[in-house]
Amino acid sequence: MAADYLCKTRDPQNPDDGLVDAIFPADLTLRYYKFSPVRYLNLIAAKHVLENVERIFFGVREFNEGGWCYTARPAQWHVRENACVPFPKSLVFAVYLNPRLRVYECRAEQVAEDDSMCPVNWRERYRGLIWKSTS
Amino acid sequence: MEKHFLSSIMESHGEASFRAEPWYNADGDCIMYQNADEAVVADRADELLTIYRSALDDRPIGFQIKGVAAIIRKFGLDGLMIRSTTELQEVRHVSITAILLAAYEDGPRTISRRQAYATAIEYPLAGGIATSELQLS
Repeated sequence: MAADYLCKTRDPQNPDDGLVDAIFPADLTLRYYKFSPVRYLNLIAAKHVLENVERIFFGVREFNEGGWCYTARPAQWHVRENACVPFPKSLVFAVYLNPRLRVYECRAEQVAEDDSMCPVNWRERYRGLIWKSTS
Repeated sequence: MEKHFLSSIMESHGEASFRAEPWYNADGDCIMYQNADEAVVADRADELLTIYRSALDDRPIGFQIKGVAAIIRKFGLDGLMIRSTTELQEVRHVSITAILLAAYEDGPRTISRRQAYATAIEYPLAGGIATSELQLS
């Protein structure tokens, strides 16, 4: 039986000091494992993003209050099951969490012109950028 | 590439095999569909619809439609539902095409939106999503 996988990441409520457990839900990871091998492999990139986040956005949904988007750029990702390649500079990898910090989407986005760690149109898409790395 | 952090959990679940079928993601309240096992790059049409483009060649390979519960609340389940009957029971499915059309009605009539929704609707989505899978409160 698959179980939820917990991954330490910055607390979106206290990103400078706190850590929380983000959750890779078992039903998501098992579905990806069984039916979407490339998405399953790119959970590695998603975990990298959560552990090395560069930007955190809040307010990612119109109808559902809350939710978070964590972004960063992994060194590599799978474009096919047997094709692991460097992650392109034109993209940023985004991991979406619901208000209960459960991961529901992981994908690449085109980067914004004004910030290479932000998804395109980030100012219109999210209610705010709540944290950015200083390194 | 490093060993997958979930490999010890998943190894008892048998072989993986790509399946192109829509599914309802309860944690995201969204329907996701992909017809190719390739990395995706998001191409956001509006607040509700994102087209998935292949990272290999930019062709559309699926979509995500968000806010499913809100769409159903707004338009009513009856107007979005397909009923079918098996030997044992009536099975109720929500039509994904109907959800896409409802989402389209909810926004501005722009060419880019129309093209994105047309792309999504052209996928084979006849089965719909069983109402029992949806979390409607």
